Amino acid sequence: MDTFDVLIVDDEADFRDSLLKRLKKRNLNVSGAGSGEEALAVLKEEPVDVVILDVKMPGMNGIDTLSAIKRLRPLVEVIMLTGHANVEVAMEGMEKGAFDYLMKPMDIDELLYKLQDACKKKRLNEKRERPVAPRSGSAA
Amino acid sequence: MSPIRRLISRLSGKKRDRSLGENELAELRAAFASRYHHFKLLLSANNKALEIMSEMEKALSGDRSFSMSFVRSQSTAVAVNVFSIVKNLDELAPDKYAELYERLKAIREGINETLAAKRLPEGDRMVAQLSEIGRDMAGLVGSKMANVGEMAGALELPVPDGFALTSAAYQRFMEETNLQAEIDRRLQSREGENLGDLYALSSEIQNLIVSTPLPEELSKAISVAYTELEERTHKGVTVSLRSSALGEDGSDTSFAGQYRSVLNVSGDNLDAAYKEVVASKYGLHAIVYRQNRGIRDEDVAMCVGVMAMVHAVSSGVTYSRNPLDAKDDSVIINSVWGLPKSVVDGSVAPDTFVVSRDPVRISRRDIRVKAQKFVCYPEEGVCRMDLTGKEKSVLPSLDDDHVTALARIALNLEAHYGAAQDVEWAVGPHGTIYLLQCRPLKQITAENGRKGLPESGSAIISGGGTASPGAAAGEVFVIRKSSDVLRFPKGAVLVAEQALPRWAALLSEAAAVVTEQGSLAGHLANVAREFGVPALFGVPGAVGLLENAGLVTVDADGCAIHRGRVEEVLSNARAGRKNLMEGTAVFEALKAVVQWIAPLNLLDPDAPAFKPKNCRTLHDITRFCHEKAVSEMFAFGREHHFSERASKQLYYKVPMQWWIINLDDGFDKDVPGKLVPLENVVSVPFKSLWEGINAEPWQGPPPVDTRGFMSVLLEASANPNLDPSMPSQYANRNYFMLSKNFVSLTSRFGFHFCSVEALVSARQGENYASFQFKGGAADLNRRVRRAHFVADVLEEFGFRSEIKDDGVFARVEGHPEALMEEKLIVLGYLLMHTRQLDMVLANDSAYATHRAKMVGDLTRILAARPPKPGPPPEEKEAARLAAEGE
Repeated sequence: MDTFDVLIVDDEADFRDSLLKRLKKRNLNVSGAGSGEEALAVLKEEPVDVVILDVKMPGMNGIDTLSAIKRLRPLVEVIMLTGHANVEVAMEGMEKGAFDYLMKPMDIDELLYKLQDACKKKRLNEKRERPVAPRSGSAA
Repeated sequence: MSPIRRLISRLSGKKRDRSLGENELAELRAAFASRYHHFKLLLSANNKALEIMSEMEKALSGDRSFSMSFVRSQSTAVAVNVFSIVKNLDELAPDKYAELYERLKAIREGINETLAAKRLPEGDRMVAQLSEIGRDMAGLVGSKMANVGEMAGALELPVPDGFALTSAAYQRFMEETNLQAEIDRRLQSREGENLGDLYALSSEIQNLIVSTPLPEELSKAISVAYTELEERTHKGVTVSLRSSALGEDGSDTSFAGQYRSVLNVSGDNLDAAYKEVVASKYGLHAIVYRQNRGIRDEDVAMCVGVMAMVHAVSSGVTYSRNPLDAKDDSVIINSVWGLPKSVVDGSVAPDTFVVSRDPVRISRRDIRVKAQKFVCYPEEGVCRMDLTGKEKSVLPSLDDDHVTALARIALNLEAHYGAAQDVEWAVGPHGTIYLLQCRPLKQITAENGRKGLPESGSAIISGGGTASPGAAAGEVFVIRKSSDVLRFPKGAVLVAEQALPRWAALLSEAAAVVTEQGSLAGHLANVAREFGVPALFGVPGAVGLLENAGLVTVDADGCAIHRGRVEEVLSNARAGRKNLMEGTAVFEALKAVVQWIAPLNLLDPDAPAFKPKNCRTLHDITRFCHEKAVSEMFAFGREHHFSERASKQLYYKVPMQWWIINLDDGFDKDVPGKLVPLENVVSVPFKSLWEGINAEPWQGPPPVDTRGFMSVLLEASANPNLDPSMPSQYANRNYFMLSKNFVSLTSRFGFHFCSVEALVSARQGENYASFQFKGGAADLNRRVRRAHFVADVLEEFGFRSEIKDDGVFARVEGHPEALMEEKLIVLGYLLMHTRQLDMVLANDSAYATHRAKMVGDLTRILAARPPKPGPPPEEKEAARLAAEGE
């Protein structure tokens, strides 16, 4: 798969930087943001295909950031990546349109595959005549 | 209406619209590509969900230890993947199965309830005075302090004055400072790391705790309690701080020595010392210990006992009965000069006194050379090992009066608690006995007589004492310093000079333990017994003699170490290690949560009950969605009129009875018309499957014994599906759905239903092949027999298989491409050659003959495969099949 643009949003600078480096080595265009607010600012300015988003962050939390991203850029795919193993929070994220909810520690190759799958989904959605809104999971 | 539905409604029911413009064609292709991508995402989530379920079930079999982090993260991951499955199915068939979201919601609520159960501290006061504590207060002050309070109060035994910092204090510290959330996050993120990384994590968490200021109210409460203690004792009294964790020292799990005590602390250092004790909850061996024993992190609240220091002349541990032999009711007293630290951590070999209980009389004295003693000086923080002096080191550390007095106290405690006790004590400067703690003693039932040594006299050393019974073999690994812990190889024999508590972290990895010094009373011995690891302590010269010995057999029962692996000794040893997880809180939590996840109730897709509303577990949902996704993809591919994606008949020399739906990139180019030549199919798993199908000519139906044939006839008349005049589910043809890296085959060979699904690509972790085989014309007995036969052959080639009635479900996953191709060849071969096998599987000898033939064939076929690219497979068999038709 060709290269694409990834934004890592995590308040833990060490984690963010090391993931950034490792993904860059795999030829992705990667940038980082330390908070939800910062991430939204980046999304307004730069092209992003897939966002890797932490759940627990000071300020705007991951779930709120996810909703804001989906409002701002409905086609951008969001992968939650967190140390927070909680079924309810994970389900909330999925219902709000997250592509996946992954838990640290994450194998880098597996993460790369997830990123590729998410990006492919975005590309396919872009080709369709109009973007498809994320379905709400609470359909009944 | 979604774009794809609009397109389809335009296309369906009429011949292909030849006036489709380029734009519309492009749009249609995009819609199909998107659809296929959803299908692929569904399969990948399906695969992952099944993998996690099987991991959870494997964990329940108890051969490994796991923590609550494992339970939580696996539950979360499986729920996320199942959500993803439902969502992608919803994309393939919008709103058709929307009811599944509700089922999913109900199930995950069940999961949440199971995981959320949390124990609250009893009461909310942060400080409890020793004088008001009794044994019923273990939930507030931990069992260690509850017992100390009981000794002081109800039993009026001499105990140093003091107070306890309660579980409520701990809770406030962890929650008001957000420490708990941060610790949980770090533990979760680093789950499954090796001991070395865990070591780093452990010190990170401990530093975090030590550097976090106490909530002001707690700090103030500690200082007030200390001032009151000063008033009751004397100004500037120094104190000891000891861990008294909830659940610590229970009779099932003695957390022997896992936590820290801080001695000789002055009033202005209480906060720091308190945090140090709390931090020891996350010491390396404590983390590993909890994990190995299935103790939930959140169930361990660290209460701390604060007691005035006793400046001990001598001290030690009393067992009210022999811990190593349940039939021996002698009281055993281990004693050293100075504080009891050196007897507990095994660094000094103690004097041992054996006292008969009725009448109380000393029956044996074992006076050792105690060259060192552990002492604390009144100046803050100074505690060290001192030389005892040549003359004093050989003297008994207790006189006879003290020995009998201590024995009587232990017997009183035993009577009071109604069970054998382990009592720690110190003798003050004026000869007063102070009791420091007591806890239930776990005794081992010793076997009658020692096992005789093997004749060969292969013992490298004999001697020492049985610290933990049993025998085990392994390579010797000598541990000298803490960093050696990180290099310790799993399954090795731990050899060390001293039996230090910090080696306890290795007990889940070690085959056996041998030390030169250390008493059977020490923490390491306790933990070894609890883990069922054979241990031999006090073996003189063990380190030097064993250093380069390589593989040895430690016979802890026979007090000897033999060169090499001595089966005779090993088989003599008592039953192996216990399943340490079973019955623990973590194990029970996993067991409860798995009930919502792994059981499969929806077995038969043709049954009327195969409906969303009957999905009771995540596995049910997974199974349902997979079935529906495949049939949605299939029906769609077959029915619409978009030529590029319509089903095509496979052509090899002649049109064959195989139909192919290209989902994406399964052909090397656009193939117009209704036939697809074999050479245009470039699907990797398809090609391997095809190779297997054609690898060996089919011998025709095997000779049938009369009963077999009768059985087929009877079944045929009883089963409407076999009546050619009835509309039947068996009237389907053989269909492949495929792409470059994917194949799904649904096939009816005669009376047999069969399906294969496989993903083979460079993404090794996602590779899998699954196989289902069911039905047949013979009676149930023979069909079941054949199911076992197929499972048996598949297991020979590395598949995991499961049999339900006459069906076989087999799976293999995670192998690199080349190996996956071999697995598909095996499946292809079986597809062809198990047809009608049920007719010959009437007896064991037929079973064995056919099994040997098939395994032999397959082994030969796989061995003969040249490295890629291979020659074109022999395809005449497929041609035959084509001629046979349906």
